[in-house]
Amino acid sequence: MIPPKRPRDPALLRRRRLANGVFVALALLATGIALLALLLILGTLVSKGLGGMSADVVLLDQPGPGESGGLRNALVGSAMMCGLGMVLAVVVGVLAGTWLAEYGDGKRLASFVRFLNDVLLSAPSILMGLFVYEAVVRPLHGFSAGAGALALGFLATPVVTRTTEDMLRLQPHALREAGMALGAGKGHVVRSIIWRASRSGLVTGALLGLARISGETAPLLFTSPGNPFLSFRIDQSMASLPTLMFQYALSAYDDWQALAWAGALLIAAAVLAANIIGRVLTRGSFHK
Amino acid sequence: MIDVTGLDFFYGQQQALHGVDLPVARGQITALIGPSGCGKSTLLRSLNRIYMLYHAQRAQGRILFEGENILAPATDLAALRARIGMVFQRPTPFPMSIHDNIAFGVQLQRRVSRREMDEIVENALIRAALWDEVKDKLHSSGLALSGGQQQRLCVARGIAVQPEVLLLDEPASALDPLSTAKLETALVDLKHSFTIVIVTHNLQQAARISDYTGFMLGGRMVEFGHSTDVFVKPETQALRDYVTGRYG
Repeated sequence: MIPPKRPRDPALLRRRRLANGVFVALALLATGIALLALLLILGTLVSKGLGGMSADVVLLDQPGPGESGGLRNALVGSAMMCGLGMVLAVVVGVLAGTWLAEYGDGKRLASFVRFLNDVLLSAPSILMGLFVYEAVVRPLHGFSAGAGALALGFLATPVVTRTTEDMLRLQPHALREAGMALGAGKGHVVRSIIWRASRSGLVTGALLGLARISGETAPLLFTSPGNPFLSFRIDQSMASLPTLMFQYALSAYDDWQALAWAGALLIAAAVLAANIIGRVLTRGSFHK
Repeated sequence: MIDVTGLDFFYGQQQALHGVDLPVARGQITALIGPSGCGKSTLLRSLNRIYMLYHAQRAQGRILFEGENILAPATDLAALRARIGMVFQRPTPFPMSIHDNIAFGVQLQRRVSRREMDEIVENALIRAALWDEVKDKLHSSGLALSGGQQQRLCVARGIAVQPEVLLLDEPASALDPLSTAKLETALVDLKHSFTIVIVTHNLQQAARISDYTGFMLGGRMVEFGHSTDVFVKPETQALRDYVTGRYG
């Protein structure tokens, strides 16, 4: 039996329309504010950064007061320390995340590790610098790029660990069961099926970690505060973009400040480039 | 070939199977039917001990496979699963090419030359009634296939390892009628080489392809026998209700 038709309340409909309009407007406003802030930051970065940009930036080392120079030593130092740090972070992070997602279920140690990882995830970066200072720099009596890379690596590891665990957990149980049902061991299933299925997620984790550390100054202040010359030795202090920017941005010289802006633009561009490369590499034929 | 006696199964504290018996005859298709949650998938998942992936799940009783109790702790699970293959409810293609999906399981068992592997792949795909549809794209992703094709790929992957038994957990529940028909045709052809145990919600399917049928209810095996007997003259009221659609 069809119930008799009741008249609709036009006032209620009007109120619902109004409420909808208000919320859409608020959401648009919030989006606009966020976009505006982003555009302002990027605009300032590009306009000021381009001003200090020239071939000298990548060809010459950092200048003394009144000299002309570039950022070559800092670029090399940043690339090496971030690179080494990411090697550490990806190896430790992916393995730890895999253990948490695939082997840790029901283990108390896993909850403990996950909790510690979350704490590290939000720990101030200067703590990493201090820790490595106490653990490595003081016993070895000196700053070194190795110590800097270690501090940066410790900073990126929790990011990679967390993302890896989350991404592996997204894979359906049926996929693991299917691998095991063919007679494969758990480790084999994880390495050749689950990792592969989560490849783009794992790369995203590494990129997030890289983005986290590439602009970090604090962990380097106590580990590898700088070096006015080009250096490839990891047992000695190396220059880095963030520490040099910090130093130059606070200086009174216009050309130093221009170099600091150029450095900021280079970091932003490098992170963007790494993201694009990562996306392209993981857009393999085996993903929908 | 397989003889299950007095099987109890637990999900943590909750008991899902109560003293289940099931004989599985060699070279025949045995169907397990019953309403949702009756334990038929659980029973199937005990036969290759795939439940072992989850630490809170455990089975008690006896499952003899070729005279050996596979529930014994010393059972080599990898070896067991190479002999008892499984196809799941939802298609589970691996994130690799069609060819590599099938090669994956074979490579676990033995070293195979490239030419021999190509033959194994072709053979498995032919028997799973998929060869004609994919023979020109063996090296493209298994994920790009349709659902019905993916499921037949999973069947091909399962038979390529040459197991003695094939377990199928509602393999057609996510497929359209045409894909289901193709899958069923493949299964009937396969029973000459494999012993098949299939869980299904589809009674017509069970009646069409199976030789033996077990009807389960509430974690117990209520009725078991030749499919013709079970469907034509059910002994229990519960099965009569289920077959006529009044239950589940």
